[in-house]
Amino acid sequence: MNRVISSFRDGKGFDIALVGAALLFLGIFAGLPLVYNVVMSFQAVDMFSLGTFARPFVGFDNYIAVFSEPIFWPVMRNTVVFVVASIGGQFVIGFGLALFFTLKFPGSTYLRGLFLVSWVMPGLVVGAIWNWILAGDFGVLNFALTGLGIIEDNIFWRSDTAFSLWAVIIANIWLGTSFNMILLSVGLASIPRDLYEAAALDGANGWQRFWTITLPMMRATIGAVISLGLIFTLQQFDLFAAITSGGPANSSNVAQYWAWDFSFRQYDFAKGATISVLMIALVMVASVIYVRSTRHEVRG
Amino acid sequence: MNASLRNWLLLAVALGLAALYLFPLYWMYVTSLKTGSEVFATPPGFVPRDAQWDNFPYVWSVRDMGSYIWNSLIIASGTTFLTAALGTGCAYVLARYRNMWIDIGLFLILMLQVLPASLMITPIFVGFSQFGLLETPRLAVILALTAKTMPFFVVLVRATFMSVPSELEEAALVDGNSRIGAFFAIALPLARNGILVSAILIFMQAFGEYVYSKSIIQSPALQPASVGLNAFMGPNTNEWNNIMAYASIYVTPILAAFVLLQRRIVAGLTSGALK
Repeated sequence: MNRVISSFRDGKGFDIALVGAALLFLGIFAGLPLVYNVVMSFQAVDMFSLGTFARPFVGFDNYIAVFSEPIFWPVMRNTVVFVVASIGGQFVIGFGLALFFTLKFPGSTYLRGLFLVSWVMPGLVVGAIWNWILAGDFGVLNFALTGLGIIEDNIFWRSDTAFSLWAVIIANIWLGTSFNMILLSVGLASIPRDLYEAAALDGANGWQRFWTITLPMMRATIGAVISLGLIFTLQQFDLFAAITSGGPANSSNVAQYWAWDFSFRQYDFAKGATISVLMIALVMVASVIYVRSTRHEVRG
Repeated sequence: MNASLRNWLLLAVALGLAALYLFPLYWMYVTSLKTGSEVFATPPGFVPRDAQWDNFPYVWSVRDMGSYIWNSLIIASGTTFLTAALGTGCAYVLARYRNMWIDIGLFLILMLQVLPASLMITPIFVGFSQFGLLETPRLAVILALTAKTMPFFVVLVRATFMSVPSELEEAALVDGNSRIGAFFAIALPLARNGILVSAILIFMQAFGEYVYSKSIIQSPALQPASVGLNAFMGPNTNEWNNIMAYASIYVTPILAAFVLLQRRIVAGLTSGALK
C-alpha cells in the first residue's frame, strides 16, 4: 500500500492517475457511445425498446433501409456540395487574406486577430444573423446585390430549393474563413525569408515566387487546413438548425442534420445511428489524414 | 513610394476588409436598435435613426432571457470546470513524455476531437436515458459536452506545457519536492496563462452549445440561450429587431471577452492547432 502511495506521489503512478482520470472519462462519455452507436445500427430500435439493451438484432436491415430512402442520394449530394463549396470558399478567401496580412503594417496583427470573432461566436447567433441578412424581401444581401446590378430580382435564399443549401454555405464560409486565415498565416510566417530574397535575386516575379516557393513550402499546412476544414464542415449543425432546418423539401438537408432529424424528429433512433456510423467513419478517415499531415509539420 | 504612405494605404485596405467581414455583426446591432416597421424599410437604414434602446429590456423580459442565460452560464461553467480539472493533468503528462504509448493516447484524443456532436447525440441520448441521466438534463449536457471539449483543451494545454522547461521541475525534485509538489508549485503556475486562455475558449464554446442542449433538455426552464434563440426564430417570424436584440444580448459578453483577450487567444490557438 505504501508503495502505491509513494508511486502516486513520486513516480509513474502520478502520471498514470492524471492520464487515467481523463481517459476513463473520455472512454465512458465518448468511447462507449461510439461503440453503442455501432451496436444500435444493427438493432431494431423503437420508442418501446428504447429503455432496454436486449433489442432484436436485424443484421444490415437498417443500412439497407437508409440506402433505399428516396432522399439518400440527394442528401449525400448536398453533403458533398456543402463540404466542397464551404472548404473551397473558406480556403480561397482565407488564403487571400493571410497573404495580404503578410505585408507588415502597423496594426496588422491586431486586425488579423479581430477576424476571428466569427469563429468564437455561438453558431446559433451566426445562423440568426445570416438568416436575417439572407431574408428574401427585406434582406440586406439582396438589397446590396440588386443595388450593384448583380441580380435583377430578389433571391429567396432560404425558401427557394435552388438556393437554400447555398444560404447555409455562405454563412459557413463566413464562419470558417477566419480560422483558415489564422492557420495559413502561421504557415506563411514559417517560410524562411531568405528563400524569397534568393528568388528575387534570380529575377523571379511575385507570381513565380508564389508557385515555386509559397505553395510547395505550404504543402503540409494546406493539407492540415483542408482536412481540419473537412472535419469542421461535417460538424456544422447549428447553421442548418438556424437557417433552413434542412428544408424546403430536404433541399438543404445534409448527412449530419439528417441523422439528427431521424433520431429527434422522427424518433427513428436506429436509422439515426446508422447514418451516424457511416459519417463518423468518413470523419475518422479525414482525421487520419489530418494527423499525418501535422506529423510532417513538426520539422523544426 | 515612401514607407509611411505604403503603411497608411495598407492599413486603409485592411480596415476596409475588416469592415466588410464584420458587417454581419454591425448589422445585428443596427437591426436590434430599429423599430418594428423600420426593419422592413426599403432601402434599409444603415445607421439607426431613432435608436430603440427599449428593445433590449423588452426582449429580456418577454423572452424570459434571464433563465436562458443563467442555464447557459451553468452549462458553460460546469463544462469548463470539468474539462480543466480532468484535462490539465492529462495534457501535462502527454507533454512530458515521448514514447509509443503517449503517441497512441494523443492519437485517440485527436480522434475524439473530430466526432460531430449531431452524430454522437443519438447514442448519448439513448444511453443516458437508460441510465437515468436525463432526469438531470443540465448535468447530462455538461458530461456529454465535456467529452467533446476535452480533446481540444488537452491539445492546446499540452502545447503550453511543452514550452515549460522540464529542468525547472527536475531542480525542484532535487530540492526534495515530490512529483505532486513539483507539478503544483512549478509546472502549473508557469502554464497558468495557457490554461486560462484554453479554459476561456472552452467556456465560449460551451456558452454557445446547441445540439446537445436541444436534444437532451426538454423543459424550457432548463434550456440555454442557444435553444431559446432558435425557438424565437419561427419559420415566418417578422420580429427581426427583437431577435437581433436577443442575439446581441447573448453574444456581446463573448465579443467583449474576445476583444480584451484577442492576442492571447490567437496565440494559444495557433500554438496548439497545428502541432
